[in-house]
Amino acid sequence: MIALDHYLLLSGLVFAIGILGVTTSRSVLKILLSLELLLAASNLSFVAFSKFNGDYNGQLIVFFVILVAAAEVAIGLAIIVLMYQRLSTIQADELKEMKW
Amino acid sequence: MPSLFFYFFAATLILASLCVVLARNPLYNVLALVVAIFSLSSLFVLLQAFFVGMILLLVYAGAVLVFFIFVVMCLNLTAISLTFVEQRRFKTLGYLSSILFAFSFFFATQSFLDAQLFATSSIRGTIETVGQILFTDYLLPFELTSLLLLIALFGIVSLAQGALNTGKEEGQS
Repeated sequence: MIALDHYLLLSGLVFAIGILGVTTSRSVLKILLSLELLLAASNLSFVAFSKFNGDYNGQLIVFFVILVAAAEVAIGLAIIVLMYQRLSTIQADELKEMKW
Repeated sequence: MPSLFFYFFAATLILASLCVVLARNPLYNVLALVVAIFSLSSLFVLLQAFFVGMILLLVYAGAVLVFFIFVVMCLNLTAISLTFVEQRRFKTLGYLSSILFAFSFFFATQSFLDAQLFATSSIRGTIETVGQILFTDYLLPFELTSLLLLIALFGIVSLAQGALNTGKEEGQS
């Protein structure tokens, strides 16, 4: 039987790896992928707490998080494709100006 | 036996997420995220959250990551742009901050470590139980997500239209 702290430590570890990806990578695509990791790690915490507290609300929040993440990814990828068309690169450092 | 499954999927999840962050080829990053999402949904099933695990697999591995692979292949990233990705300026700072976060999280969960909480609740997140709450308590948020997805759709269409217009201008000039 696995205790709650195992799930929480796993979630924290994955979250730390996601932070590593967001802070160190310069490719916008990789930053978006690492953001997905952050969301996945927090989802794991929600589901673990839901199971251990006997409360379904955590699982419903995960459901909504997945929905919002899908919308976020779609728009993020559209912006990446646009950025590649205009600047012909996907480096975050190349985004120096606020106006296109 | 369930604890064996937990350690197997936890190890897979950590390895795959390390691969997402550290692999050089963007296609490998995306495929590693597919593996990570798969093991995460297996962990959800171990926690008896069947509906959420299934949705995660369908939405992420089925739709979102196919999007990612599609974009990676569309962009046709050359070897030059890939090597440029690896010249990271704040590399040590990023490593330090993430290690610091992992340690702080470890100390934050110390109280749970001492408590040794085990799952004694008998909740099973099947479609029936989760759907019943979704369509009663969470009916308004559920309907509002459809509006959110519609707005996201409008945003993507307008972005694509802008891209189409600039493409035409560049073609004419």
